Amino acid sequence: MLGEMMFGSVAMSYKGSTLKIHHIRSPPQLMISKVFSARLGGSTSGSTNTLQDSFESISQTCPSHSSSIAHSTPVDMPSRGHSEDGDSGIARSASLSSLLATPLPSPGSSFSSSCASSYQRRWLRSQATSLQHGPMPRWSTEEMFTLSDESCSSNPVVIRRKKIAISIIISLPEREEESHNFQEFFFSHFPLFESHMNKLKTAIERAMIVCRRIAESSQRVQVYLCRVMEALGEFRMTVWNLYMAPRISEPVWLTMVSQSAERGPLCQRFLKEMSLLMDHGAKNQFLPALLTAVLTYHLAWVPTVMPSNQPPIKAFCEKHTSQTVDLLAKSHPYNPLWAQLGDLYGALGSPVRVCRTVVVGRRRELVQRVLYVLSYFIRCSDLQENTEPEGQTDNPANPSPPQPSNPAPCPERTNEKPSSPILESAHCSEGSSENIPCPVLESSSPSLCSERTNEKTFCPDPDSTDPTPCPKRTSDRTENPETGQEGLGEDTDFAGAGLEQILANQSPLLHRVQFHIGSPRETENDGQLKGPTGAGCGQSLDRKLSRRLLTDIRRNESSDSALGDSDEEELSPRQQCTATGLQEYELPLPSSETVSRPSVNHFGRSLLGGYCPQYMPDFVLQGISSDQRLRQNLMNDLEHTVLHPALDEPVAEAVCIVADTDRLSVQLATSQRRVCEPGRLGRDVLVSSLVNSILTSVLQLYKLNVNADFCVMHLEDRLQEVYFKSQTLAEYLRGQTRVHVKELGRGLGIESGDIPLLAAVASTHSPYVAQILL
Amino acid sequence: MNALVALCHFCELHGPRTLFCTEAVHPPSPSPPQHGSAIPADRDSDREGEGLTMRANGSANQRTGMCEGCRSLPASHPGFVSVDSETGIRYLSHQHPRQPQLFSVVRQACVRSLSCEVCPGREGPIFFGDEQHGFVFSHTFFIKDSLARGFQRWYSIVMVAMDRIYLINSWPFLLRHLRLTIQSLQSTALKVFDTEQGVCPQRAVRMNSAFSPAVFPHQRSGNAARSLTSLTQHPNLWASLHSSFSWLLKACGSRLTEKLLEGAPTEDTLVLIERQTEQEEEMIGWEGAEGGGPKPQQSQSEGLQGRDFAYEDGKGKELHGPRFRSLRHLRQVLGPTEFRQLAWHVLMGNQVIFRGAEPGLIQSAFDILKTLLPVGCVRAVPYSGQYEEAYRCNFLGLSPDVPIPAHVSSSEFTVLVDVLAVGKASLYPSVCDDAVLSHYQFIISSANTQPTDRGPSLLNKLEVALSNENLSVDVVSHCLLCLKEEWMNKVKVLFKFSKVDGRGKEDTQRALVVLGATGSGEEDNVRLLKFWMTGLSKTYKSHLMTAVRGGERTLSQ
Repeated sequence: MLGEMMFGSVAMSYKGSTLKIHHIRSPPQLMISKVFSARLGGSTSGSTNTLQDSFESISQTCPSHSSSIAHSTPVDMPSRGHSEDGDSGIARSASLSSLLATPLPSPGSSFSSSCASSYQRRWLRSQATSLQHGPMPRWSTEEMFTLSDESCSSNPVVIRRKKIAISIIISLPEREEESHNFQEFFFSHFPLFESHMNKLKTAIERAMIVCRRIAESSQRVQVYLCRVMEALGEFRMTVWNLYMAPRISEPVWLTMVSQSAERGPLCQRFLKEMSLLMDHGAKNQFLPALLTAVLTYHLAWVPTVMPSNQPPIKAFCEKHTSQTVDLLAKSHPYNPLWAQLGDLYGALGSPVRVCRTVVVGRRRELVQRVLYVLSYFIRCSDLQENTEPEGQTDNPANPSPPQPSNPAPCPERTNEKPSSPILESAHCSEGSSENIPCPVLESSSPSLCSERTNEKTFCPDPDSTDPTPCPKRTSDRTENPETGQEGLGEDTDFAGAGLEQILANQSPLLHRVQFHIGSPRETENDGQLKGPTGAGCGQSLDRKLSRRLLTDIRRNESSDSALGDSDEEELSPRQQCTATGLQEYELPLPSSETVSRPSVNHFGRSLLGGYCPQYMPDFVLQGISSDQRLRQNLMNDLEHTVLHPALDEPVAEAVCIVADTDRLSVQLATSQRRVCEPGRLGRDVLVSSLVNSILTSVLQLYKLNVNADFCVMHLEDRLQEVYFKSQTLAEYLRGQTRVHVKELGRGLGIESGDIPLLAAVASTHSPYVAQILL
Repeated sequence: MNALVALCHFCELHGPRTLFCTEAVHPPSPSPPQHGSAIPADRDSDREGEGLTMRANGSANQRTGMCEGCRSLPASHPGFVSVDSETGIRYLSHQHPRQPQLFSVVRQACVRSLSCEVCPGREGPIFFGDEQHGFVFSHTFFIKDSLARGFQRWYSIVMVAMDRIYLINSWPFLLRHLRLTIQSLQSTALKVFDTEQGVCPQRAVRMNSAFSPAVFPHQRSGNAARSLTSLTQHPNLWASLHSSFSWLLKACGSRLTEKLLEGAPTEDTLVLIERQTEQEEEMIGWEGAEGGGPKPQQSQSEGLQGRDFAYEDGKGKELHGPRFRSLRHLRQVLGPTEFRQLAWHVLMGNQVIFRGAEPGLIQSAFDILKTLLPVGCVRAVPYSGQYEEAYRCNFLGLSPDVPIPAHVSSSEFTVLVDVLAVGKASLYPSVCDDAVLSHYQFIISSANTQPTDRGPSLLNKLEVALSNENLSVDVVSHCLLCLKEEWMNKVKVLFKFSKVDGRGKEDTQRALVVLGATGSGEEDNVRLLKFWMTGLSKTYKSHLMTAVRGGERTLSQ
């Protein structure tokens, strides 16, 4: 059953990766699968040439609009052959810079809509994902599963009809409300889940490649399992953390956007915290350096200071909601969640860079203060959810005249075994013993230290949660056989049986949301993984695998008869068009009452982390006490972000700002350069004198007892100055091939220390800037 | 939403079929990005051969055709349309999508949802898809049919989109609403089923008839083709499905809305808006009171002329003759020292009088000089036959013979520029260049005794940019904009300190230090700030006045 769910009952000839999500009713589970075509050779994961391919297909499609589409400035594009560059980072970013150049109107042009960059991003997204022009693969169409690393071979062999699938099964909480909450979180945060799944896939790929080199089969299986288990443990912990970690309860910017009534006290508190922070790190210019980096990379503040052309509606401080974007959302719907994610990661510039900020420090209060202050500068849109009023039964989705009584839900026709009651109860007891049913959002509390202080209860220290990836653990299976069965339903010969058991015993805290894995399967016998003998779990794995493989082959070779006579019998579109040249009957569009309420499950609320027990790769902002895990993982995470961006669009560079409150240092780590110096995460951030002067003057005004509201307005005005300066820089660079730093300083008052910031800001409205400064 | 919804059916005779499809047709691009027009449609060539081959090998010789069960609207039916008047999106329903590219997309989704993808329990939601064929949220379900094999028929509703993230994000919403649709269809069909079974229990009929699996479907082929309309006895089934699918597409697209903020308008924008509103109100006032008579209209246009001039560039174009083109040009013609002197007077808010026979030339000088100031500080009378007082205008153009009153010519707050033609031949030339301007002489006179070469800082910086020939005129004007905004922000703080909070000298001095307005040229900086304060918009000033009251209330709380 699981196999059929993963691969489908009929073989597909499609080469690219396929994504699937199943909802299993009993036991309640979600299953996410990715099916890949397998190939031998070519250790690069195919992402570079994928981008290349999609770029080419796009540029083919719009020859006459070469200046009008985002991806259509084919400047200096390396040919397809060159793009298969082993050293991916820099080459990719260079090509991306031209790839992603978005022809925005120049600052001097007549384009007057403010919020231009926000608007442009959203507009392009709605176009790129439009159905109106038929499917247009954007990228990742040839994401493969690599089975070996014979990378020197010139063209990687795609083995026909060989598919490998990876599935994750998440057991849903028993209680309806918890289950609902988790599902809401899961589906709204799917890009992050998917990104972690890609990471898992890469790990399994590597495990397969490594174990092929091992001659002895029993050892081979052990090595394979160890590695897969390790990756799985990582996956589980990451996802668990994503769901459970503490969040900033009142991010300053979002709170100001959503509730303008309490603006005064909010400004007051924000300035107080910022002022304390400024004084604390004064000697090292800690805050100016940190803000320089944040303003340079988390660029979503730029559209919020670009001057509007509309008169203020109510209070002056209340900025405008952008009307052009509003209108766009109605006429050309795009995904607001996607837009928000891009905002938070600062993916507004060109080339697209994504950024996260991690604040490290042992002093909790201090770290939290930094997080709080930064939550004003790291901005995104606020989301409202429009729902039908509670208890409304007469729904326009209902095609019939309203029924007198709601019909009973469709009868359960499941053929599956009923789930094990023993396990069910185990779930329940686990669930009820924890009093944190759904800590997606923390309740707000008055003080800054509003974060959950009991992380320890759900996430013990890193060492003990680290999975011990050893197949010996399969002996546990006898102790609790029900769990294993439950994880697999009827498909007991499935190789994952033993694996699931290992997982279930790793961390008892994970029981409420469980992750099961089926090992990757090959639908064709490649003769490699099948060892004749092995110990324990490994042996059974082999035996099962081979049996499985046989059945799969049979299935895949069978003719596609299930489809019947599918193609010919229906009218061709052309025939159809002529057949219905008539005017359609017009019907009124049903309208329904909707109630707007603040959305709960959005990235603005979930990705601004608090003081977390552990480093997490998803958070836009987070605090941690020790950088141990950060050091271990950061570079890999950044590379992964570039290869598999959660943003669902190509990313040229991933950066992470690391602020250390103990050492009062601010460093910038990037996916493009490995740091040579040991013990350092990245290069030091230089202070922009512009940022420093803004901070100084705002805080001095605050100290002169100017009311906080006005100080914040002044801060916004000063940020607007930065925007204007970036326009000057962009204008200066227009048609320039070389940058004369001295000239900028003397003639335009742009100091060299401000150039990175101003160039980044300028790239949001004038993409050519990046090409000149690269 | 950028998606389409389709109802699909697994026909016992013909396999998976698309029955009914609702698509959203979006209006052409909205106005702001004119350059981003639609992507050309023809893209089929790249897809050739790559697609998921769904063709049944060697089965092409099987009969073609459709039965009642494979059909929704009769071939002659034109389909349905609903228009969202607010956005212009049209929701179209037909048996198959109208756009050829979508035909195969929907076909794929249909076949996969009913023949390939496996949903545990056969009824329920599933998501699948890839970049090539689009992404699909599918919900399969049974509909009772007393005459069908197993007394039920299998259907699915699919929602197809290219934005997989969006579609997955919408899963809970889609599931909730599609369930309602499905349950409603099922319960309606169940009633029909119960009635039919009451009349003629099929189980008994079938038990009694000879049964052979091979001929089973064909034996009853006459009945196998029951349409969904017949199964539900719903006369307006397709119309109401159209409505619910259209609603679903719309509601799913507007399920989440963004609140996206943009920056406050600049003071210049605010002042322009205020002036425009004032003007409109005056117009209405005139028309209402006087019935639009010619005399008041005239006098009004005279009165407005000065203000109009400040921001209506179109007017100057009617006047021919030599002109100043940019600040740099003006500086070249006048000479750096004279330019500095003149710009200084402009920035300090002194009255600048140009006297000469060339209204076009004078106006071009004003056009350029006024860019030094915030819009709110510009009051101009471009060309007049008599002297106008300084409170009425800080830019005044006069014809050559107009005398300047003594109190004005002796005032240190006035600067007079006499424009004298040197050569006769150069009057009204068709081309204007520097050579032409060199035929004019500009004599600057003022009773001012203050030094003009120290401050304000803004002018010092501007002069550096102007004198650097490597910087284009456009760069310089951006640079000037930055400087003006920078100083406008200082003006706001000073206004807050002196006018709103009513602070003493000491505090105000501290604020000036914070703002970086002190040091060399301090006196000029302060004068500039004070003059520019008069140009703040009413909107801003009244906001600060009311906000401070509100602010104090919060402080005292």
